[in-house]
Amino acid sequence: MALMQITDLTMRFSGIVAVERLTFDIEEGSITSLIGPNGAGKTSAFNCMTGFYKASSGEILFDGKSLIGLKPYKITRLGIVRTFQNVRLFKNLTVLENVMSGAHSVTRQSVFGALLRTPAQRREERGIRENAEYLLDYVGILNKKDELAKNLSYGDQRRAEWARALAAKPRLLLLDEPAAGLNREEKDRLIELIHKFRADFGVTVFLIDHDMDLVMKVSEKVIVINFGTKIAEGTPAQVQSDPLVVEAYLGVSEEEGGAL
Amino acid sequence: MKLLDKAFRLLGSKGARYGVPAALLLAMTALPFFLDDYALHVLWNAMFYALLALGLNVIVGYCGLCDLGYAAKFAIGAYTTGILMKSFGWNFWLTLPMSILVAVITAVIIGAPTLKLRSDYLAIVTLGFAEIVRITARNLPITGSASGLNAIARPSLFGLRLTKISHWYYVFLVLVVIFVFISNRLRHSRFGRALAYIREDEDAAQAMGVDTTRYKLYAYMIGAVLGGVTGSFFAVTMTSISPGSFDFTQSANILLAVILGGMGKIPGVIAGAAFFAIFPEIFRDVPIVGNMRMLFFGLLLIVVMITRPQGFWPERKRG
Repeated sequence: MALMQITDLTMRFSGIVAVERLTFDIEEGSITSLIGPNGAGKTSAFNCMTGFYKASSGEILFDGKSLIGLKPYKITRLGIVRTFQNVRLFKNLTVLENVMSGAHSVTRQSVFGALLRTPAQRREERGIRENAEYLLDYVGILNKKDELAKNLSYGDQRRAEWARALAAKPRLLLLDEPAAGLNREEKDRLIELIHKFRADFGVTVFLIDHDMDLVMKVSEKVIVINFGTKIAEGTPAQVQSDPLVVEAYLGVSEEEGGAL
Repeated sequence: MKLLDKAFRLLGSKGARYGVPAALLLAMTALPFFLDDYALHVLWNAMFYALLALGLNVIVGYCGLCDLGYAAKFAIGAYTTGILMKSFGWNFWLTLPMSILVAVITAVIIGAPTLKLRSDYLAIVTLGFAEIVRITARNLPITGSASGLNAIARPSLFGLRLTKISHWYYVFLVLVVIFVFISNRLRHSRFGRALAYIREDEDAAQAMGVDTTRYKLYAYMIGAVLGGVTGSFFAVTMTSISPGSFDFTQSANILLAVILGGMGKIPGVIAGAAFFAIFPEIFRDVPIVGNMRMLFFGLLLIVVMITRPQGFWPERKRG
């Protein structure tokens, strides 16, 4: 059984259909991408999967459990962790504190633990901190841990966000336009990194992007949507030669000889 | 401002971290031996504001919620203690748990429906609720209507009846230490960080697994409890309370103290409250300026807010 099964997912905003009867699977251990031109409904689908939007109809199953109607924090606790398109770190907190936030969903101490500073609470705090430092080292910015997040370069902010997501021990990592704002060299490094995440942490990766280049290089399966509906699905090679995809991306008809 | 930053950085060094508060505490402990009752009363008032500011700081500074009716929280504490002592003959110390309980219940009633919405709505609801509390207190017989509750008995502690201002000075000093301890422990914990995540970016906090509605309610409850306890002690220090003590100006003053000092920063919040209580007193007796002291105070507030919108206390430096 696939790790995530999306069936007939539909998202309407007061009459406007953003996503219509979208159906696809994400296999455990795979790197799967959802692509489409701007306004195709990628972000709406993504927000339904993470609980930020409530789907109008359809079903989203994660490990056999329905995600429909669950709040974002509950979805995170199930092991589905997202990043944001424009990097949304907690700007006025340190990089370390940012990454420590990832551990929130997998730890439990609350008000009384904080006030009494019990041995269990201190042990947990140490674990959260050590894991965050390990992950910062892993993404290569441990030396920046005490800086405020807002003072980091854009590339480093991206790294901090990945470390934060990994700290939540995800089974499924959802990346919202991870290549946005990166240059060619950084994109190549990102491709390596995504493969590394999977190898080192055993995560399944799902990403949305309109950057064809990145998606084709990194993914094993690609789903293409346009105007809210799926127009193609398959390996990067299959999708790339699909006439509907070519048309959606280049906006030209076949007779005029559009090529990717 | 450069020089000020430098001085603050020196204060922020490792040795100063415990040394400065310890020295300050020692000085505060010694002061009653040198000051007259009037000066002690001014300092007591500063500590009273510090307690309220520390309580509100959990809501506003830590969690980023806007509470425009904090006076209602301490009014509820003050009236709970006042009514239980006057009408039911309770011992003061036994009213404290009740005061905490009432604070929690009202916080849930106000917070539970409101905090599900975006945080801005809380500002309006708290403002309205504070007015409801004040007007209710003014019209109910049990709260003594407009004249309030008078001749509330002074409690005893270890056989000593707390009647002098110096007694209350020490009681409030202990309370400040306790409130600072609570604030500090909350801040440096998974719970406190979750509040900071909500303040910084509510959506991202949700995405990291923080149950934002629940944590906002916790922050609101803790703030209400600290305010309620302060109100209870206020009632027995003053021995009389009336609706006039809990009007909107009071809420605004406490909020200003928190913002002025620097939201979320414990020493900043205390300094803001102390400044707020002491500044008008210093200028009270200066000729001409004395009459216009609130005008100067207002001008100063504007200058501070324009030059240092993050409050006059500096950002903490780590490492």
